[in-house]
Amino acid sequence: MAKAKSALILCMDVGFSMSNSAPGEESHFESAKKVLQKFVQRQVFAESKDELALVLFGTDSTSNPLAQDGQYQNITVHRDLMIPDFELLEEIENQVHPESQQADWLDALVVCMDLIKKATNGKNYDRCNISLLTDLSTQTDSDHLDVIIKNLKKADTTLQFFLPFPAEEDREDGDGSGPGHSGLGKGLSTQQKNGLDMVKHIMLSLDEEDGLDEIYTLRNAVEQLCMFKRIERRPMAWPCQLTIGTSLSIRIVGFKAVTEEKLKKTWTTVDAQSHQKEDVRRETIYCLDDDNETEVQKDDTIQGFRYGSDIVPFSKVDQEQMKYKHDGKCFAVLGFTKKNMIERHYFMGNQSIKIFAAKDDQHAGVAFSSLVHALDELDMVAIVRYAYDRRSNPQVGAAFPCIKQHYECLVYVQLPFMEDLRHLTFPSLDNKKFTPSDTQLSAVDSLIDSMMLVEEDENGEQRDIFKVHHIPNPAFQRHFQCLHHRAVSPGTPLPPIEPWLKAVLDMPEIINERCQAPLAELKKVFPLTVVENKKKPKTAAQIFGKDSEQPDAKKANEDDEEQEFNLADISEGSVTSVGSVDPTRDFCTLIKSKALPFGEVCQQLIHRIEQFLGNKNTQYYMKSITCIQAFREQSVKLENADLYNSYLQSLKGSIPNRGLEVFWDLLVQDAVSLISKDEVGGSSVSKDEASQFLLAEEKKEEEAAASTAQDTEDVDDLLDMM
Amino acid sequence: MAEWNTYSRQEDEDEEEMEGEQADGPHKVTGRDCLVFLVDASKEMFIKGGDGCPSNFDMTMHAVRNVYTNKIISSHRDLLALVFYGTEKSKNPRNSFKHVYVYHDLDEPGAKRVQDVDALRGDKGAQLAAETMGSGETSLSDALWCCANLYSDIKLRLSHKRLMIFTCRDAPHGGNGAKDRQARTKASDLKETGVVIDLMNLMKPGGFDISLFFCDIVSPPEDDSELGLQLDPCDKLEDLQKRVRAKEQKKRALARLCLCLSEGLSIAVGIYAAATTARKPGAIRLFRESNEPVRSKTRTFHTQTGSLLLPSEIKKAQVYGKKQIVMERDEVDAIKKFDDTGLCLIGFKPMEKLKLHHHIRPAVFLYPEEDEVKGSSCLFSALLKKCGERNVFALCRYISRRNYPPRFVALVPQREEIDEGKAQITPPGFNIIYLPYADDLRTLDPPLCPLASQVQVDKMKEIISKLRFKYRRDAFENPVIQQHYRNLEAMALDMMAPEDTEDLIMPKVDQIDHRLGLLVQEFKDLVYPANYNPESKPAAKRKTVESRGRAEKKAKVELPEDELMAMVKAGTLGKLTVPVLKEACKQFGVSTTETKKQELINALILRLAP
Repeated sequence: MAKAKSALILCMDVGFSMSNSAPGEESHFESAKKVLQKFVQRQVFAESKDELALVLFGTDSTSNPLAQDGQYQNITVHRDLMIPDFELLEEIENQVHPESQQADWLDALVVCMDLIKKATNGKNYDRCNISLLTDLSTQTDSDHLDVIIKNLKKADTTLQFFLPFPAEEDREDGDGSGPGHSGLGKGLSTQQKNGLDMVKHIMLSLDEEDGLDEIYTLRNAVEQLCMFKRIERRPMAWPCQLTIGTSLSIRIVGFKAVTEEKLKKTWTTVDAQSHQKEDVRRETIYCLDDDNETEVQKDDTIQGFRYGSDIVPFSKVDQEQMKYKHDGKCFAVLGFTKKNMIERHYFMGNQSIKIFAAKDDQHAGVAFSSLVHALDELDMVAIVRYAYDRRSNPQVGAAFPCIKQHYECLVYVQLPFMEDLRHLTFPSLDNKKFTPSDTQLSAVDSLIDSMMLVEEDENGEQRDIFKVHHIPNPAFQRHFQCLHHRAVSPGTPLPPIEPWLKAVLDMPEIINERCQAPLAELKKVFPLTVVENKKKPKTAAQIFGKDSEQPDAKKANEDDEEQEFNLADISEGSVTSVGSVDPTRDFCTLIKSKALPFGEVCQQLIHRIEQFLGNKNTQYYMKSITCIQAFREQSVKLENADLYNSYLQSLKGSIPNRGLEVFWDLLVQDAVSLISKDEVGGSSVSKDEASQFLLAEEKKEEEAAASTAQDTEDVDDLLDMM
Repeated sequence: MAEWNTYSRQEDEDEEEMEGEQADGPHKVTGRDCLVFLVDASKEMFIKGGDGCPSNFDMTMHAVRNVYTNKIISSHRDLLALVFYGTEKSKNPRNSFKHVYVYHDLDEPGAKRVQDVDALRGDKGAQLAAETMGSGETSLSDALWCCANLYSDIKLRLSHKRLMIFTCRDAPHGGNGAKDRQARTKASDLKETGVVIDLMNLMKPGGFDISLFFCDIVSPPEDDSELGLQLDPCDKLEDLQKRVRAKEQKKRALARLCLCLSEGLSIAVGIYAAATTARKPGAIRLFRESNEPVRSKTRTFHTQTGSLLLPSEIKKAQVYGKKQIVMERDEVDAIKKFDDTGLCLIGFKPMEKLKLHHHIRPAVFLYPEEDEVKGSSCLFSALLKKCGERNVFALCRYISRRNYPPRFVALVPQREEIDEGKAQITPPGFNIIYLPYADDLRTLDPPLCPLASQVQVDKMKEIISKLRFKYRRDAFENPVIQQHYRNLEAMALDMMAPEDTEDLIMPKVDQIDHRLGLLVQEFKDLVYPANYNPESKPAAKRKTVESRGRAEKKAKVELPEDELMAMVKAGTLGKLTVPVLKEACKQFGVSTTETKKQELINALILRLAP
């Protein structure tokens, strides 16, 4: 079956006029580029199968299949239809610039249509759309307008326009017409006015009623696109038969209607240096619970289960043979019961399923409809046995009738088994000590009044101002925000939660204002005192303030370094010397804890560095460099440059003898130089000297090479190698 | 070495927790719960009731057995003991007490013990009891002392200690004041060490008068009210079991946190689970030769150097749009953090705004914690009362644990309900219903179907009325779990075959057919044409086509290289099926054990992308 996917063409004007802007305002080009970026980002993170092409017009060069005989000039097909990726995002970021030509946007539209036509040859898209981002400031040749419209209609291609100005005065949404915003008529050139008329003409010819709805302003588009796409899954049909006894069955089909959606991708573990997941391996070993922790091969183990205090060896084969088996897929009625016998808080499982009559089966439809209506009229529900298939465990659940204007269905929810229930008893609250007074009760009453989220408007219609099921899962929004940030600006700390997301999760402003007085009253009439609990200081701390004992993730962000040391302490216990596994960390920890004198710790680190250099292996070189960097950092921090400077100088001296040129190159690349006076007052090295330290070496080497080159030919090769 | 292991295991757990961020997260285990059954073995206990009703002793054993098997399933680490008093013979650790028979000392329940208790049931059981223990003098003081020793002999950390006395004699010492006094002293000693003493008073002719003696023995109820003491004696097994079960399960808070009404106005609340999905427990690995459990250790190391990797040498990555995005491990946690744990009030909504099908997780229960913030119960009680009266629920933002993203929940008021026997059926408090986000709702395309006529609906109503029953939530056992434990029981006790389990969620089709009689045919005549058979699948024909199609696909799983490269370039690998992708992996020497589509695609892209 063909997957539902679309072909989308983004067609952006990069011509000369787009870089115009009112003073203090972003140029149209920049706004359009933002829309482009946001849109592509959403597609990338939604892992949508939609294919995307990018066409630029007004470019200095020309590159499109229709360009012939001076026709269709200054139009570039930047990218053909394919699934968007970060490469495209980077190209937009780095390669899409304002250029100095102008091109006819109708010509560009024709190029796009041609692109779609070629792409749809043999491929099946269920939607084709062209989005034009332009300021309409170019001379257009309207001769073929009718042909274009005819072809758009024929190819069933939809159009969207993103313009710097609204198409109609009253279409400017909300506060969109801020100061300096180019309103309609104001500041529009004749060409733009003509262009706009033409745009309207096209849009209305394509869709008489709502055509103009597909004309957006760049500004609104950016705002709307900041939310990442919600996760969408194609509903999977589950055909089955609803049975009542042995002889009555109705063909039905079920769909998951509500379920907690998870992100499709999970984190993989990679090596911190190489970022390769292949470099990291996890292994599980088994050992006896004796003093030696004797290791046992996996093959020498068998499976067992606990039966109270007994452990019963129970092989997989036996288990498979003896386990509960059933006939598979079923939706069988056990009986019917009053709806109020089913309590909402005893719903089990993590989904609700909507059951419909089988598709294209009139008779099943009638039979099913009788059941739904009968249940509804009797205010009853069906208790059913539900099994998804042979491999899954059967459930008991309730099927509620649900009659909507456009459809009828049963809503199935799982109910508990006896084993799932915990019988909870709690002391009654009808206790004299806790019984609220009338004053207290009326304070709560007015709080509820002030905080009602559902109101009746003047037409008597209910309006819910806080619909949870319209809020995108904030965890996903934040996840993508951070991933996107890391992808486009690596090396920088993660950004804070976006303000719009915070606002969405908070109490509506209007409620917040209204409830202040009742809340103040509530505070007055309900005295609350925190009990100092010695037994569980931690829990109390968690409740009433930030828990200082536990690293706070937010804090971690601001103070990365601090955090790292804490973690290291926890995971490693105490560090007593600079080890070879993570010398940098040991070194920093030791210096921080002041367990050993500075000189001693430095000596230990130098010892490790020398050890690593002895191995002559790039990986060890890298490790040495991080050591030296840490050495430098800590020396600057402690304002003690001597040990570091003298080591680095002696190291430099020994490079040629030890054949460590490759290593030195790496060090030069990383610009790890001496500590200058500017950094640490006590240093005897000037800033110039420090910057020359690495550079001079290069020069000197070059000079040396130059001088020796005259003597022997061999050195030339050597130089090439370097 | 130890640190490495603990570290990596912890990480595992974290990940698992995230996987199923269930409300019913693991309980914090601080110690073992223990429960001692102290059962009267006097002659009175063995008197059978009229109409073939079982004796009090028989009923008690039945209830005890049930607790044993339930504990094995639900919390096998709890300790149980069974002690008889008023026996002829004596058996206790130091044999220092007369007329006290410790049948089982405190230990985890196992198959053998269940069998032991079984042996005491029925007529044969009464006979066995008479032979092994007999009935003799009663000294409750000695019995309580003996039980106190049982608790103190346990070297493990104990968290919740409970003692249940089963008797039908309201004056066990027959008016002997000295013995009564001794028993009271011992009881208060026990209570002082944290043992909760419950009385399961059983029916006796003339009624059971607690005020004669036992009111001084049992622990006062939690809420200082008179409730609990005036419970009528049980005369039905069902009642006894209900009462035992209510007491036997210790309620544990999943979390204690604050319900914040506004800045500076927070009360302390506890979150409890009234229903959590019981699952088959995981398998344990045993050493083949000795059948002793083995421990597993997981370590992370570098593939090339073989050295163990520190947390700092590991990062986390995801691939999007062909680009690998890398983050630090603590960044991955930080992303999920929005705020501190707690419930934060947003507003109120009428109950009808709570949609039935908006269900994503089992509910949890909310009750105030007066111990942590004084005044919590009063404000909680006022909120509960007003929400109930006005038929509204409170909408809250809820962060259940540290570094968990928020969810919205509805706090639905629940009034306290008490049955005739003054036992609590439903506790007072709020039920927390989790609400879905926009991402959690799926867009469906409901098929258009014809409507039924009133005649058809009425016929169905007749059918429904014939099959009415009263739903009870504890009426259905999970056949999968029951079968599993029966199997284990059989193997543990070397039984020939496991006991039969009745599948309670199987429709009783014979009964249904019988009850409906001709109604089914009448209904079918109304809705189905003569030749219509809902069992036959019109899809059958298509199926063969489909299966042939599948076979064809299988035959040509291999793709030409250039085609594949083109797809990699266009990013359209997702169109291929998993077998094709696997084949392609083989073809290009990409070694992968992945079975997930996305992983296979990633592997291929990594290899083939220029």
